[in-house]
Amino acid sequence: MNNELTDADRYPTLSERGRHMLGFLQQHSHAPVFRNHAGNRLTSDDLIRVNAFIAETVSAKIGWHPGKQPPWVTEFIARCYTDVPWYRVLGAVPQKLEDVRPTTRADLARDVALFVPDNVALDRLINFRTSGTTGHPLLIPSHPVVAASYLAFHKRALRRFGVELRAGRGSVGVALLGYQRQCFTYASVIPTMDEAGYVKLNLYPDDWRDADDRARYLNALKPEIFSGDPLSFAALLELPVTWKPQALVSTSMTLTPVLRARLEARFECPVLDVYSMSESGPIAVADPSAGGHMLLQHTLFVEILDEAGKLCAPGVRGEITLTGGFNFCLPLLRYRTGDYAALDFGGPEPVLTGLSGRLPVRFRAVDGTWVNSIDVNHALRDLPLRQFQLHQDASGAMQFDYDAEDVLDEAIAQRLHSLVGPLSSLTITRTRFEGTKVVQYASALTPS
Amino acid sequence: MNKEGPPLELLIRRTIDTPPDFLAEPKCGARGVVHVDAIAADVAGMFGTRAPVRELVPFASPDAGARNRLTLVLLACWVVADDWFRNAGIAPTEVLRALLATATELSPHADAKSFHTDPDRREELARTLLTQLGYRPAGESLAQAQDRLVSVSAAERQRAVKATRGAAERARKIREALARKAAEESADKMWRE
Repeated sequence: MNNELTDADRYPTLSERGRHMLGFLQQHSHAPVFRNHAGNRLTSDDLIRVNAFIAETVSAKIGWHPGKQPPWVTEFIARCYTDVPWYRVLGAVPQKLEDVRPTTRADLARDVALFVPDNVALDRLINFRTSGTTGHPLLIPSHPVVAASYLAFHKRALRRFGVELRAGRGSVGVALLGYQRQCFTYASVIPTMDEAGYVKLNLYPDDWRDADDRARYLNALKPEIFSGDPLSFAALLELPVTWKPQALVSTSMTLTPVLRARLEARFECPVLDVYSMSESGPIAVADPSAGGHMLLQHTLFVEILDEAGKLCAPGVRGEITLTGGFNFCLPLLRYRTGDYAALDFGGPEPVLTGLSGRLPVRFRAVDGTWVNSIDVNHALRDLPLRQFQLHQDASGAMQFDYDAEDVLDEAIAQRLHSLVGPLSSLTITRTRFEGTKVVQYASALTPS
Repeated sequence: MNKEGPPLELLIRRTIDTPPDFLAEPKCGARGVVHVDAIAADVAGMFGTRAPVRELVPFASPDAGARNRLTLVLLACWVVADDWFRNAGIAPTEVLRALLATATELSPHADAKSFHTDPDRREELARTLLTQLGYRPAGESLAQAQDRLVSVSAAERQRAVKATRGAAERARKIREALARKAAEESADKMWRE
């Protein structure tokens, strides 16, 4: 099979108007240097499937009674025990979820292929790369239909804040913003929004012919939504962008109340803080009026487990544990996320309260500029690391600990030096984490 | 696993009742307090003879990365020191080998403390240690013991899955499909994680 994709593979349903939108995004006089090519890869059949999923998701009821599992869970367990090698080997199907031993990120990291159901065709498999909070690098198996289905949760979350997406033919729907030294960037169209435009951009100046083009381009595109993370939104605040989108959607890391307030004041629109992870997709959106995070997936059952794996009572903090999900390439069965919260059942829907997720981490380079933890992930992505952690102390000194089969000190040093400059106080230690939890990124210098 | 051993509950109860000394921080270089090699030597002594020094070498390490493994050895030392094992006529060298093999198998994938606090992990520790010593829990058939070990042990389960017909081949194809450039190019999901 030819590994190279063509535009026909990337945009199977592209119309003349869609082609025009792509040209507008790519050839605009203020456009960035797009580093990559990618597309929606959706066929006509896929579109029918995704549109049906979106329609179902935006208005689906989410909820269950404390201590009870939704009716679909029993059938879901049976399907996993039939179709997924990791579970099938256990034999008899448990009737109750509490009889299923939880899985962890370490289980996935051993060999994620064992979690892919037998009925998933491999010719359209895609991957999302993640390092998570525990430092286990992981490739998540996924599919174009799964990627396109994220829009359903965008819509559900936005609706909660009174925003209905209206972008369509001839307009730009979403600009996904990054702020990294290296970033996957490209332009595409959204067939489930009548080929509205979509761009994935890097606000880092090196990606632009003229740094001032960043604001000019965004002002010209007028995207209905800015999507990004706290780091890229902090960078966005520094630019003279005058366009006011309908909403900002922040994911990937914890959005601090201060940054949220600044963004709301500047763009005069709702700023959504979404709790999401590559293994499951979007899980919940923060709603201060509800006192926590509201769940977004109607086929994702959330349990809170204590250290011993027992179910916590409502209101008691424990580890967020997931069952179900919409990624049919990676069905989750009692997946322990490594994130902590309580579940409150006082309102019409369950609410995650006291969620502690990932805080953004930035490292200070030798020249005083800042390097994101995402850049570190990117720089190390081709190295066979089982687990790693990078910490910077108040003096700027860095300690990198890693677990790998081979000695990789030189390769790691070379990559870190290329990111932060010729740092003299960089210590690299090969070790065995042997299952201990690590704080993957920490910096005493991360600005608040 | 061919021989019938003690009741599983006995070992699990003993794990729950582990004294604080056996849960303390193992000595790794400048850190920690418990000399695990000395404890292992004491355990070997309970089973008959003094262990040769060379057999105790793997029970000490200056490397902080060995902490989890040595913590697990310490916990397993307490479990294996039960009267049932001491009266079973097991050779001291066999005990030391089983302690090391158990800790080496389990430590890469979980915090050693969880084998004391988490019920599933306690069972995994008990079953793995028994298996390494050639026993199965009292009252279980060989097949039952093997099935149960697969269900509680991630390492055993991985081995079992790959031993089933076609599974290893399918897993290889999935890994290849995920590594293809086309898979790497991804598809629009419009937000990041």
